[in-house]
Amino acid sequence: MQDFFELAVGAAASGCVYGLIGLGYLLVLRPTGIINFAVGEWAMLGAFGGFVLLTQYEWPYPLGMAAALAATFLIGWTTERVVVRPLVAKSAPLLAPILALLGMVVVYRETISAIFPPDPMPVPYAFGMGRLEFGAIGGTYQSCFIIGVTLAVFIGVWLFFERTVAGKAFEAVSLHRRAAALMGINLSRVTALSFGAGAVVAGLGGLLVAPNTSAHYLMGVPLAIQGFTALVIGGVGRVEGALLGGLLLALAEQLTVRYAPIPSGYAQGMPLVLLMIFLLLRPTGLLRARA
Amino acid sequence: MKLAAMLAAALFATAAQAQDSIKIGVITDRVGVSKPYAEPATEGIIFGASELNKKGGVLGRKIELLIEDDQSKPDVSAALARKLIDQGAVFILSVSLSPATQQQQTVTMEAKTPQMTPMNSADYLTTQLDNPYFWQTGPLGSVQIATLLAHAKTKNLKRVALITDNSELGQAINKAFRAGLEKSGIQIVEEEVVSNGSTTATPQMQKIRGANPEALFVAGVVTATNVLIFKSYRELGLKFPIHASYNLSVPIYQTVAKGLVNGITFVDAYDPDKPEVKAFEAAYRKETGHAPANLHGYGYDGIMLVAEAIKKAGAVDKGKIRAAMQSITYAGVMGAKGMKYSFAPGKRTGFDPNGMVVRVYEGDRQGRVIYVGQK
Repeated sequence: MQDFFELAVGAAASGCVYGLIGLGYLLVLRPTGIINFAVGEWAMLGAFGGFVLLTQYEWPYPLGMAAALAATFLIGWTTERVVVRPLVAKSAPLLAPILALLGMVVVYRETISAIFPPDPMPVPYAFGMGRLEFGAIGGTYQSCFIIGVTLAVFIGVWLFFERTVAGKAFEAVSLHRRAAALMGINLSRVTALSFGAGAVVAGLGGLLVAPNTSAHYLMGVPLAIQGFTALVIGGVGRVEGALLGGLLLALAEQLTVRYAPIPSGYAQGMPLVLLMIFLLLRPTGLLRARA
Repeated sequence: MKLAAMLAAALFATAAQAQDSIKIGVITDRVGVSKPYAEPATEGIIFGASELNKKGGVLGRKIELLIEDDQSKPDVSAALARKLIDQGAVFILSVSLSPATQQQQTVTMEAKTPQMTPMNSADYLTTQLDNPYFWQTGPLGSVQIATLLAHAKTKNLKRVALITDNSELGQAINKAFRAGLEKSGIQIVEEEVVSNGSTTATPQMQKIRGANPEALFVAGVVTATNVLIFKSYRELGLKFPIHASYNLSVPIYQTVAKGLVNGITFVDAYDPDKPEVKAFEAAYRKETGHAPANLHGYGYDGIMLVAEAIKKAGAVDKGKIRAAMQSITYAGVMGAKGMKYSFAPGKRTGFDPNGMVVRVYEGDRQGRVIYVGQK
């Protein structure tokens, strides 16, 4: 049992990161219908923001974190303006922006690989390398920090959608874009903000996980796959679905490696197995949208 | 900046100099998977060429480097070898990925142009093609593993664990580690793989802890994944010693794994106490303003070996250079104290099998040599 309790907090932290990446997908997907596979690269950009501001320039953590996230917001917002909006303006089919954003995956990655050395870059922990113990359960400071920040983000996003007029505007756009426009909602602004917000939460995921994985120009694709799987498991209908999916995915991954009587090399296929199971048996995910 | 100036000087010689210069082709990787290794090795080559030119060059002629980037892509690499030969390169130094170096051989063999890799470690480079114009002075992968295992034997290990990543090279090295351990009669009580892109290695390290090994062998070559392994090792408070592949000899661990690597032993071809190394480090620091890494030494030795071969040949003639190279003996920066590169009759691998060393991390610094050779 000692191993399980040790794993629980770390797996929850990994699940929170997957959940944040999943939320990055969701924030773009709901108002626009666009599946944006560039969220993994946004996470990578958040990690490199942490490397530059926190490691190279040694800014205080809160300030560096805020600046890195502001930068990812600008990147997301600019991506919508430059890459997506021209296609929407020309009434291009939905597939066009999805493919354009896939192209942006290469643009982001190659830009970073041209600017930075190919080695993994260190990003500091928010509170150092110590551990917190809660009885039998224990986890690193960073794991606890990831869990706390992620819960705050999800609660904030949930409150935004459920309790604010602006959030209702986003909901309206996700329900029916044309009707929302006729009601006076500025579609362009909602779309641009959804890209900016998606980039912020994905970038936050990258920044939070980077002290463990280091910042590396190839880190985006695995995170994009894990975030997408989390979203499929949890369902796209509800904000909290991404978090639930992320937590289940991380637990399944790590418990399989630890306890399944198969070589750990095979256990790495667990995310894809879960993805296939949910796509075949429950494509709407665990949580359905409210009526 | 100084290195850039040296490169500019090497590349943009005047027209008159270019006519008289000896052109050496360099195929490196500036953006691909080999970049972490190829870039410092190339800097070592540039530094070496600059040193040679300051002393009047070779046979009274300046060395001119023609540097090309193959992105570790074998097909691109072969085309670049052809381009360099067409531009007049009399020798090609290959510091990109082993498969790319192998592909270049199809061109150099046909064009009868001497080619050498001063750092590639793949065992097959001199065995799959019978190319008398190709040499390898990088330490073979099998030699690296044998050295690490020879050191492990001195610890009387009976039960060990093995961990790697899921990259192709990581799997290949793991296979070689497993074979070597089994041949030595050491039991592998747990064998784990950490997938690249993972966010933690804790489950794998828990399984290893449960198997209670006397030591852990890390065969992985992906730095980020190895760092995850070391983080989990520290977080779980594990105490058994770690013996690691040559990947731990890359300098990035000193910054990306701060506080994690103290006490880890790793195989290397660089002895910081060797007189040649001290002289090289002092000269490099003076010229560029910063200290070289071991990887710079591979490139430096490469260009010096080429210069020695041309001097010995007495003419810039590819056939004579080939013959001179095959009979060369040279003490360079790389290798244990007293090691000399040489090519036994019929062999084109020049790194002495007893020239590897095992070093230990002291704090975050790559520290002293604790074992030499395979005996």
